[in-house]
Amino acid sequence: MKKLANTQGFSAVIGVAVMLIAFTVIDFDGWWTANTIASVLQFASILGILAMGQALVIMTGEIDLSVGSVYGLAGVAFVTLGGTLGVPAGVLAALLIAAAVGLLQGLAVVRGGVPSMIVTLGGLFTARGIIYVWTGGSVRAFPEEARNYWLTKLLGGNLFGVDAPILWMLTVLGVLSVVMLKMRFGNRLLATGGGLASAQSRGVRTGRIKIAAFVLSALLAGFAAIVTLSDDPQTHVTLGELMELEAIAAAVIGGCLLSGGRGSLLGAVLGALIIVSFRYELIALGAPSAWYQTFVGIVLIIAVIANQNLARWAMQKT
Amino acid sequence: MASSQPLIQVKNLDLYFGSFHALKNVSVDFRAGELVGLVGDNGAGKTTLIRVLCGLHAPTSGEVYFDGARVTTFHPKLAIDFGIETIQQSVGLCDNLSIARNFYLGREPVKRILGIPFLDFRVMRDMSAKVIRQFGLRDNVSVDDEVERLSGGERQSVKIGRAVEFKNRVVIMDEPTNHLSVREREHVNELAVQLKEQGLLVIYITHDIFQVHKLADRIVIMENGEVVKDARTTEMSAEALEEVIRHGGRVVEKRSAK
Repeated sequence: MKKLANTQGFSAVIGVAVMLIAFTVIDFDGWWTANTIASVLQFASILGILAMGQALVIMTGEIDLSVGSVYGLAGVAFVTLGGTLGVPAGVLAALLIAAAVGLLQGLAVVRGGVPSMIVTLGGLFTARGIIYVWTGGSVRAFPEEARNYWLTKLLGGNLFGVDAPILWMLTVLGVLSVVMLKMRFGNRLLATGGGLASAQSRGVRTGRIKIAAFVLSALLAGFAAIVTLSDDPQTHVTLGELMELEAIAAAVIGGCLLSGGRGSLLGAVLGALIIVSFRYELIALGAPSAWYQTFVGIVLIIAVIANQNLARWAMQKT
Repeated sequence: MASSQPLIQVKNLDLYFGSFHALKNVSVDFRAGELVGLVGDNGAGKTTLIRVLCGLHAPTSGEVYFDGARVTTFHPKLAIDFGIETIQQSVGLCDNLSIARNFYLGREPVKRILGIPFLDFRVMRDMSAKVIRQFGLRDNVSVDDEVERLSGGERQSVKIGRAVEFKNRVVIMDEPTNHLSVREREHVNELAVQLKEQGLLVIYITHDIFQVHKLADRIVIMENGEVVKDARTTEMSAEALEEVIRHGGRVVEKRSAK
């Protein structure tokens, strides 16, 4: 119990449990249907992939406001270039563009010494602007051939009867969790966020760690866009708008401290699940869709308070 | 016992922070097998000098030689690779990580599974526990516990244990006995002497000239960014050295020069 409570993301597990009980009581028939669960899991997986990247950046003590725009830009690149140059080239180009944005932002933060909130706010606007210029405001879609291409099916279709985004999210979660918990990079990333000067005094190259986190965050945003658009390959200029805030909210609900050094990738995914479930269920219950944002706000604040107190309470009990 | 060639040689070192002249033409030698007390008031430049030696600041001008070779780039990683271990007051441990993870931070042991390097937790736990237990870590504290839970003395134990464990050539102790109980303090001082007897260079920074005079072979006094006295403990008593600090190094130097 103590060890579990000590784990970041503990309150997200409780949060998911409470939420599921509440939805079961309020709307058993509407919630527990194969359709609802499938849609919620699919969208939660996509937001979860973004939230994991966000969590990595937050754990280093920085923040990435650009992921929504990077998601949009990578999506536009994937659909536009994938349609003309072929799907593999589209995937590659989208990931390269995302990685380049992450690298530039990381360099500006680390070498330029500009606060990440400013750098990535700039990234948010810049990438969004490029989307407008590139598409001219028009909707882009895959031609039939690209839609049916094997890679498109692999990324966004159905594998073994499960929606592909869920499997991709689980893969990313598995790999990154091992990297964070069992490898040098994870140890040094947490050290960078938990005690920058101490980490530097031990020879940890904290600048490189931060740059790597920004690149990973952007790459995951790009990957999430590719997975989304492989399922439904058309874009519009607002693609990914406000997703940066949902990703941050998911990471924070999942136990990330904005001061850095503490966080959980599983928690970030569960945070994404909570956000998407609320949106879905509120709409299903017939609440005006605008209420969703209010609810996310309330859940966010409750989650942060819970993160601070729940672990302490559980530890006192044992 | 100390060898004749200096292990660390600092020549005409100047360091500016903007317009602030933090180190002024500092020249000092340190030899292997020596315990040197670096003494001076707050703001004297002791810690700044040490931060150059452990790679955190690059000097504005002047030269630093390590083992006879000129040092041109200053980075903490390089200092660690040279075998310079620094025990500082406020930095060195990340509160959010376990003792074992902190102990090996920056040089984590790995075991390869299918060629992929994974942290070797068995080595990290066993070795850090074995070393740190010698330095007064309570039995009810596990090396899996986060450093946040440790007392000031226990934190020092972890840092000193780390300095002992890795085969270092230089151990720099920056006010190592602050926040320690009397017994812990004695233990740390014994340890400093032990390190020296093993042939390491130990640089011991403190305000307390009387404490370090008992341990050190040499005392270097700094004031306002300058070295104002460099004397063997056999040549000058602690009282005489305290006079130098109390009245300002330069005044005494000028008098003795007359």
